[in-house]
Amino acid sequence: MKRSGLVFGVMVVGIALLLWAGWHNLRERRLAMQQAQENHVVLVPEKAGPAAQTDSQSPEAEAMQMRGKVAPGFTLVTLDGKKVSLSDYKGRPVLVNFWATWCGPCKVEMPWFEEFRKQYAAQGLEILGLADDVDAGKDAIAKVAQKTGVTYPILLTDGKIQKAYGGPDGMDYLPMSFYVDKNGVIVEETAGLGSKDEIEAHIKKIVASGATTAAGGQ
Amino acid sequence: MTGLFAGLLIALPIGLAAQQVGNLDAPVVKPKSYVVYGADQQNVVAGKRSVVELHFRVLDGYHVNSHTPKSELLIPTRIELQPATGVKAEAVEYPTGTSYSFSFDPTEKLDVYTGTFTVRLPVVAEAGTHSVDGTLRYQACDHAACYPPKSLPVQVIFTAK
Repeated sequence: MKRSGLVFGVMVVGIALLLWAGWHNLRERRLAMQQAQENHVVLVPEKAGPAAQTDSQSPEAEAMQMRGKVAPGFTLVTLDGKKVSLSDYKGRPVLVNFWATWCGPCKVEMPWFEEFRKQYAAQGLEILGLADDVDAGKDAIAKVAQKTGVTYPILLTDGKIQKAYGGPDGMDYLPMSFYVDKNGVIVEETAGLGSKDEIEAHIKKIVASGATTAAGGQ
Repeated sequence: MTGLFAGLLIALPIGLAAQQVGNLDAPVVKPKSYVVYGADQQNVVAGKRSVVELHFRVLDGYHVNSHTPKSELLIPTRIELQPATGVKAEAVEYPTGTSYSFSFDPTEKLDVYTGTFTVRLPVVAEAGTHSVDGTLRYQACDHAACYPPKSLPVQVIFTAK
C-alpha cells in the first residue's frame, strides 16, 4: 500500500513536471518565434543567382513556386490597345517578365531581353513584359519601354495576373521572370536581377524544350 | 504498470522536445514592411510653435527613396497626416537623403534613406494630449530587387503643456 502510494506520488510529480516543461517550452518557443519574425529579414542573396534568390524553405517561396507548373493563362492589353494572350504563343518558348517603372533592376535587364529576343528569334522566342505598375500611367510605362529600347509587347496588368503568378498578395518583389517552355510549362522562375549569362541559360532551356513550332504564334 | 509509466516518463519529454525542435526549425516569415515607425511620447509647449519628431528605421539591407528622388519615375517617401482637433500642423519637413547607386548601374545616382531617418512635424497645439494619425508611403529596394509601394500607419502622440 505504502509502495503503491509512493509510486503514485512519483507519477503525479513526474506528470506535473512534464506539464510545466511543456508550458515552459511552449512559452520559450513562442518568444523565439516572435523574436525571429521581428529580427529576421530574408533578402535576395548577395549572389544574384536566380536559383539562390528564392529561398526554397520560406513559405513565400512555397506559395510562389511555379516551377514545373503550367503557366497561368492571360489576355492583356498592349500599350497600343491590342489584346495579347499567352495562348497566342502556344508551341513557342516565352519569357514572361514582370517589371515596373519605379524598379531600377528591372530596367537593367530589359535591354538584355530585347537582345536575346533577336538572337533567338529563329527558335521562336517571345518576351512579354508585364508592367506591374498600377499607379503609373500608360505614358510613363511607354516612356520607360522606349528608353530601354524594347520592342517586345509591353502588357498592362489587371491585378489578377499578379496573383496568378505571385500568390494572393501579388508580386512581392520585382523583377520576376517566368520561363515558359513550348509545352506551356514554367521551367524556371527568377526573382530579382540575375546576370545576363543566367538569363541566357534559362532562355536556352525553354528554346531547347519540346517540339519546335514555327514562329508566328498566332 | 510501473514500466508503462516509466516509458511514458521517457517518451513524453522526447515527444515534447521533438515538437519544439520542429517548430523552431519552421521557416520565418519575410516582413511585409521594410520601414519601422518608432512611436515615442513627446512633449511640446502649448500654444507655441513646436516641432514633433517622427522616427523611422529602414530595415538593414534595404533602402527607400527619399522625399526628393532624382527621377520622376521613382516613388518618393511621403507622409499623409489626418487633421487632429486642437492641433495646427504645418508642412512636414523631410530629411535630405543620401546618394546611392546600384552596383549594376553606378551611373544612375539615387537619393535614398537608409538606417534611421527623422521627419519633423511643426505644430501649434492646445494644452492636452494629442494624437495625429497618418500614413507613411514609401517604396523600398535592396541591392537587386524592388518591392511594391507600401503604406505604414503612424500615430504621433504628444502632450502640449
